[in-house]
Amino acid sequence: MSNDKICVGAISGSFGVRGEVRLKSFTADPAGLGDYGPLTTSDGRSVTVTITRPVKNGFAARLSGVGTKEEADAMKGVQLFAPRDALPDLPDDEFYHADLIGLQVLDTGGKVLGVVRAVHDHGAGDMLEIFGPGLKTTALLPFTREAVPTVDLKAGRIIADPPEGVFPDDG
Amino acid sequence: MARSVWKGPFVDSYVLKKAEKSRETGRNEVIKIWSRRSTILPQFVGLTFGVYNGQKHIPVNVSEEMIGQKFGEYAPTRTYYGHAADKKAKRK
Repeated sequence: MSNDKICVGAISGSFGVRGEVRLKSFTADPAGLGDYGPLTTSDGRSVTVTITRPVKNGFAARLSGVGTKEEADAMKGVQLFAPRDALPDLPDDEFYHADLIGLQVLDTGGKVLGVVRAVHDHGAGDMLEIFGPGLKTTALLPFTREAVPTVDLKAGRIIADPPEGVFPDDG
Repeated sequence: MARSVWKGPFVDSYVLKKAEKSRETGRNEVIKIWSRRSTILPQFVGLTFGVYNGQKHIPVNVSEEMIGQKFGEYAPTRTYYGHAADKKAKRK
């Protein structure tokens, strides 16, 4: 199921000589990275992020506890994590990618089809990329009520009714 | 230069035949096509096409706002995974 922490950004180096860092944001609204309160680094430190301005390929930001360029340089490559609980609740039929990834996919007969590896949206609606036993490559399942009637986050599984041709053995 | 209006939209004939056959049978299936160059027509709305991207068939649920576009626009040939972070998916 979902992790307790979600990677929302990474530090790609220092910015300037006054202890600012260059930040890459992975959030849907890139400037909203600082809205999730104090973030934690991969080594467990807690930092408060204050975005100062947009720069090429990201943002310039100040981190609590980082005051010099040397300290900012040392932060290069560090990933920033937000607690899963900090994400706001969503209405019905909307899900965070982070919650869907890793769910087990079963068909209506209870047969395991695979595990959700990624969620894509190429402009024609969201789809789940599924990899499972017996598949040489991943299968793409449209994320619609017809194809995915049940999403049970607590049980960590999805019940799917895939159209013919999505999985190789049924096409 | 834009395509002349008198010619009408271009669609590979096999796509039309497959779509018509699928609509007649009413089966819940992905219509596999290789024609990325074909225009999406109003009679395709509601059908699901599997558009080939060079590796596999990407399912494309055709909706009204897609009419006039090409199938290939909805099946990118390069995959970028990125980070899930707080991105959301909506079940339609």
